[in-house]
Amino acid sequence: MVTIKASYNNMKELIGEDVTVAELDELLSFAKSEIDDYVREEDMLEINVKTSNRPDLWCPEGLVREIKGILGKEKAIPSLSIKTSGYKVKVDPKLASSRPYIACAVAKNLHLSDYIIKQFMQLSDKIDYSYGRKRKKASIGLYNLSMIKSPIDYKVIEKTHHFVPLGYDKEMNLEEILEHHEKGLEYGYIVREYGHYPILLSSDGVTLSLPPIINSNTVGRITEETKECLIEVTGTNFETVNVELNILCQTLADRGAEIFSVEIVYPQEIHKENVITPELTKQEIIVDLEIINKYLGTEITPSTAIKILEKRRFEGKSLDTSKINVIIPPYRLDILHWVDIAEEIVIGLDYNKVGATKWHVLTTGGLSQETEDENKVRDILIGTGAVEILTNTLTDSTILTDKVNLDDDSFVKIGNAVSKSYSVIRNQIYPNLISVLSKNTHESYPQIIFEVGEVVKIDNEKPYTQTNLAYLYADAEASFEDAHKLLHRLMSLLNVEYIIESKEHPSFISGRCGIILVEGEKCGVIGEIHPNVLEKNLIWVPVVGLELELFLLPSLSCERKFTF
Amino acid sequence: MNNAENKIFLSPENVKLYEEISKKKEISIEELLEVTKLNRGKLEYHLSFLVSEKLVERNDILTKKLKLTKTGLDAVKNGLIERRIIKILKEKSSVSFPGLSKLIQSDKKELNAGIGLLKKQNILKIENGQISLIDENIDFNIDLQSVLEGIKTSQIDDAGISTETIVKRNLGVLEDKKDTILKTIVDYSKIKDRIEKTIEVSRLTPEMIRDGSWKTIRLKEYNLKVSPPHFFVGRKQPYAQFLDDVKRKLVALGFQEMRGPIVELEFWNFDALFQAQDHPAREWSDVYRVSNPQKGSLPQEEYVELVQKVHENGYDTGSKGWRYKWDPKKSARMVLRAQGTSVSARTLVNLAVPSKYFSISRCYRPDTVDVTHLSEFNQVEGIVADPSITFRDLLGILDTFAKDVAGVKEYTFKPDYYPFTEPSVELSTVDPNLGRIEFGGAGIFRPEVTRPFGIEVPVIAWGLGIDRLFMVKHEITDIRELFSHKLDWLREEKMI
Repeated sequence: MVTIKASYNNMKELIGEDVTVAELDELLSFAKSEIDDYVREEDMLEINVKTSNRPDLWCPEGLVREIKGILGKEKAIPSLSIKTSGYKVKVDPKLASSRPYIACAVAKNLHLSDYIIKQFMQLSDKIDYSYGRKRKKASIGLYNLSMIKSPIDYKVIEKTHHFVPLGYDKEMNLEEILEHHEKGLEYGYIVREYGHYPILLSSDGVTLSLPPIINSNTVGRITEETKECLIEVTGTNFETVNVELNILCQTLADRGAEIFSVEIVYPQEIHKENVITPELTKQEIIVDLEIINKYLGTEITPSTAIKILEKRRFEGKSLDTSKINVIIPPYRLDILHWVDIAEEIVIGLDYNKVGATKWHVLTTGGLSQETEDENKVRDILIGTGAVEILTNTLTDSTILTDKVNLDDDSFVKIGNAVSKSYSVIRNQIYPNLISVLSKNTHESYPQIIFEVGEVVKIDNEKPYTQTNLAYLYADAEASFEDAHKLLHRLMSLLNVEYIIESKEHPSFISGRCGIILVEGEKCGVIGEIHPNVLEKNLIWVPVVGLELELFLLPSLSCERKFTF
Repeated sequence: MNNAENKIFLSPENVKLYEEISKKKEISIEELLEVTKLNRGKLEYHLSFLVSEKLVERNDILTKKLKLTKTGLDAVKNGLIERRIIKILKEKSSVSFPGLSKLIQSDKKELNAGIGLLKKQNILKIENGQISLIDENIDFNIDLQSVLEGIKTSQIDDAGISTETIVKRNLGVLEDKKDTILKTIVDYSKIKDRIEKTIEVSRLTPEMIRDGSWKTIRLKEYNLKVSPPHFFVGRKQPYAQFLDDVKRKLVALGFQEMRGPIVELEFWNFDALFQAQDHPAREWSDVYRVSNPQKGSLPQEEYVELVQKVHENGYDTGSKGWRYKWDPKKSARMVLRAQGTSVSARTLVNLAVPSKYFSISRCYRPDTVDVTHLSEFNQVEGIVADPSITFRDLLGILDTFAKDVAGVKEYTFKPDYYPFTEPSVELSTVDPNLGRIEFGGAGIFRPEVTRPFGIEVPVIAWGLGIDRLFMVKHEITDIRELFSHKLDWLREEKMI
């Protein structure tokens, strides 16, 4: 999801109709977008664009393009006439290993206001961040054309090369920019991975930018006075840089600019032939309407389908009674398969009008045997008067270790935890329940609680998920017997034979705890919680309890679910 | 029967009391306390039974009674001030004011009042600062003195004409007094023969039932109005209960439950779902990465290769694919399950057709936990596979979920985006208080998702966001309460 800001009044103006905010929200849904907020005083809409593969929609111009299609104000692919600018870009073969592709265009007759500049910056920032994978895959640059002479060099240069980066008033060399400039610090790693410095130079030696880091403070500054500009996209993927340029050109053209092409002179090592950009060759896809109708459950004719596609800003030509050649607007790269065209058609039909069926797929439903068995255990526990608890599986490592006198930290750890409180996955449950008791010392006793829930353990570097039962009984009168009698009845009802073998455990009082053995295998612990644990958790009554690994009880169908 | 009706069952205490009341025409409760030696509580208890049986009549009479003040009690002990002055003047014949004050040792105000009174009554005179009696043989207010003494010893109830003086001189005050007078309605002697003595007990014991003594005892009545002690029952966690209800409804619709692991390979969480390896949703800011253990490994299955092909060139699906070099190492990394669809992805292996599946699984996102965000939450997800199924059927499935599972009457469909389905739908409703709530989504799995698993039929993938619906129902505003540690809420939250 991408969130953009746009002026409501300006959008109305672009649409050419006085739509209310609610009506606009309704129209935006056809572009998979919705109004999240409208700040009336600032005339600012906050729009969530839900699709992450439609960068053409990340600006009001692109959204309005779709809306105009839906409203019937415009149809088919918007026309974009291109003249030749005479500018050339020469690409250095050394860039083949780093950032080989570039697409450029010239835009003239610009009428830039502060708002339009901000909109354009917002669009290029959103595209750089998301579609351009934080500038790694592609990044956009805009320059004042009047300061640039053709041919432009896109080449590798030594690190001592220097220019004044945007926002600075003194020259810095490329190494210094990476070391000190805020954008250098943010994106410098991309260039460092290349092992050399890419640069864009005007034929008179003036620096345009150090892509993808920073523009020049003079050439790379766009103001309301700028009438003509050069747009450039560099990157690692040919299609990506070209589609991004197409989006930018279409957006500027929607604001009244004239677009001029630039010739990219590629060396053989990078691309077989030179490319005139923007590269507006329209992609096509042949779809079979019969298959689409079957897929959607609809019965639309080819002529209707073509009309709907034009409403969606595509074009179509009927090939025979069923097949249609669909022409895709050059600012879209998201059409991979005929199912994408099927979606365009059904959106054009309107989800709320196409009609839901009384569907039927006859199958027998059921809980998994594992859930059924977990429910049996829950039912028994509830029958004893215990209150069920649901705790987080993500927890703090100290809850699993120090707080219960353990030092074994062989649980799953998170590499990018947001907070220490949620940084590991529990490998047992009773420590969480101790934590629950510690937060309820003001409530009446006895406190009898349990949880049947998932834990993750690791066997030979392989993590697996399993279900455990933990039960705690806290009361001034609590004794081992309270846990023992529960275990005994539970095992008896579950038809499991068990024995308790006395064994030391740091969480429990010595001589008052043991391991639970079923068929000779250890499947749990039972005992009286150690006063030291109680003290650490500020619990002032005795607590007894147990933890059981349910997959080890032979009569139950619980199982370990391995990650791999 | 007749006989039994005529019998009157009374405890020995009741009988004793009844007898005592019968002895006199009427008797006050104080007197009764005296003769029965019972404490007030017990007496009232037994008496209430005699009254309720209409054997004894009880009348509460409100009277005024004099009670001596401190000055009054002083006057009883040392004599009334005027009498003390007279006594001194009889001994000394004449005395100066300071001298008198010294001898009497009373406060000046009282002394002045005494002198004033005697002077007014022409009993003493003051000449040249010397105080002396006019009549040496005088005796004054002897009656008042004895009345005060009588009140103190309770020999006198009514001070008669002295009452006014006593109150005026602040020797005593009038207090309300409740007198309870008891008299029999039916004379004891008349029904004496019909009285059967019973023992009153508070607890019925097994012995009483066994030996028949319950017939001769009387069980004390309970006060049914008092609050009972706290009592907590074993119960399901309210949110778990809600999830159980959702499961029950889905099972009723013919859905079979699936389960999967919490720690998931990126392969199942993303790659099998046709999410490109450089897709922003796979960034560390959107998914929890496992740092221990360090690495996973991919299944040794053909479908892994086909997933790779589908990413790189679309395989034989007719898709263009994502057109990049797919990296098995990235796919073998481990994450915490970020979407329930990974459980569906695992189910695609050897998928039965037709089939309908669901799972309620814990999912994880690296959000900062606050009132509206959790780092772990439950997703309800599933799939429907059938050769005949269409997009309009998908809308029909969502309609069923809205009405039968979520209990929502009015809803809207909107186009949505998921990397693994096409077309994709969002299901939302408008809550009168909270505005629009998105509570579901669905789509048909892209062929790029199903083909690597050899599936030729359409597979609908759907999900329900039910946390918000639960929160609305239980008026919870803080999402963290889903995993509440508050025992009072867990014990007392309403089930309905």
